[in-house]
Amino acid sequence: MTPFNKAELPEKVILSGADCFHLVLDKHARKHNTGGNVMRKIFYFNTPLSFEKINSILTSSPVIYWLCNIKLVQASFLKRPYWKYGDKGREIILLQHHAENENLIPEIILNRDITIKSDRYIEADLVHYPSGSCAFILSWNHILLDAKGTTLLFEHLNQLSENKIPDFKVFFPDTEKKTNVLAYIRNMYKVKSFIQTSSKAPVSSVASSPIKTSDGRTLTTIISFSETETKQINDNAFNTGSRFGPTLFLLACCSHVIHFINRQKNKAGTIWLPVPYDGRLRGAAGPLISNCVSFLFYRIPQNELSNVHQTVRCLNTQMMAQIKDGIPRKYTMFLNMMRHMPLWLYYFLISRTGKGVFASFLYTSTGDNFNLLKSLFGVPIKNINMIPALTYPPGLTFVFLKHADTLHINIAYSPQIISTNDLVLIENKLKEFLLHNY
Amino acid sequence: MDIHIIIEEIKKYIKNNILAEAVHIDASTDLKQVGIDSFSTIEIILFIERRFGVSIPDEKLIPDNFKTLEALAATVMELMPKAS
Repeated sequence: MTPFNKAELPEKVILSGADCFHLVLDKHARKHNTGGNVMRKIFYFNTPLSFEKINSILTSSPVIYWLCNIKLVQASFLKRPYWKYGDKGREIILLQHHAENENLIPEIILNRDITIKSDRYIEADLVHYPSGSCAFILSWNHILLDAKGTTLLFEHLNQLSENKIPDFKVFFPDTEKKTNVLAYIRNMYKVKSFIQTSSKAPVSSVASSPIKTSDGRTLTTIISFSETETKQINDNAFNTGSRFGPTLFLLACCSHVIHFINRQKNKAGTIWLPVPYDGRLRGAAGPLISNCVSFLFYRIPQNELSNVHQTVRCLNTQMMAQIKDGIPRKYTMFLNMMRHMPLWLYYFLISRTGKGVFASFLYTSTGDNFNLLKSLFGVPIKNINMIPALTYPPGLTFVFLKHADTLHINIAYSPQIISTNDLVLIENKLKEFLLHNY
Repeated sequence: MDIHIIIEEIKKYIKNNILAEAVHIDASTDLKQVGIDSFSTIEIILFIERRFGVSIPDEKLIPDNFKTLEALAATVMELMPKAS
């Protein structure tokens, strides 16, 4: 592996507005013991991976080294928080495990937390199964990497395994362009008013308000579709009016499932959900570090939930209007402005949104990011899974992941919110809505 | 309006607003392959509607019409009022 110059790594990286929002979520997760703000990506392989080879690739990554040698410097009066890099010589720790059941991820990995006080913000595990297959798991604190950043990280690891020398400067965020303070303040009022209207209570969530303390567990279940079923889902998306990819159809189906569950519990109402929007320029190789996401916000009243076609139309109208109004860009500016606030005040303001109900449920999708990723470390990938950082409330996140032209949905949930019966209903209804002949 | 002018205008918009500097496209580049996703497609549609004064009807909103700059420009040409 080609060595990199540790002294060239950036000493100071200011947190983006979205990173700071994750700081708030992290604080929330600690306060309510909801399982931390840790994301995990799991790659399954049919054949064993060499510990030495993986370790050598991981330790040759400048980004991973940086993630193991930074600490957070909190915001002070009007000063933004930042990551301070100091070469402490800490390498990533790759741990090996042996699991008895195929595909099972040991509890010790799932229960391990990565907090803002941890020495390292990224961890790696290799799990061996009796059949000779294995899984590679990378876990990180969500404050540092978003979904696209993760995709770029795995592309970077693949380049390292091919002995390609990375130009790691593109992995770190550029210095921000200065924006006129008045423009910032005007924008802040516009966005604040938009969010307040959009998230106006009452919002119907799977979780009930006020927030209870959780037992910290995040459970997951996966629904996998065959290639034929995935094609049918894509066709259904198009037939129901989801013209620019299947996202709106998937969102509509999830909304109908939640509406169905809430109706059974006599708490049906307006659905409100923020959906991530990647703020990077398309085709860019970076930045890899920092969250560059903004959001689109959808509000679906009950009268738009009569059928899936109607819900897709409702979502489409809102999506077009928000992109036309530049809401994602304005919301990014809003988040950037919020960075100047003390964390306690930021947290106070955020937890008041929708009377503490952050969203009806959460949705995330890797889109086509992993669809064409055929191998990692030079070894063919059998399957990919992602375990999100579960925000509670709502305590229910749908993760849509496409790999090798097959769709997989990981439902991550808090057992205090979603009972076993609820889960069975969610799985069955979701399949029904997605595979219905529209 | 000449189709090449339409292609150049859409290309300029995409290069200035959507794509990273290092990404190069020409009339026949598969836009999805260079990272144009659903949100970017909507931005392109909004630009087209604004710039060329056309409204893209639902039946024209099919992936083939957004695959390349050529396909986009051909769709715009079809929708523009014909000079008599």
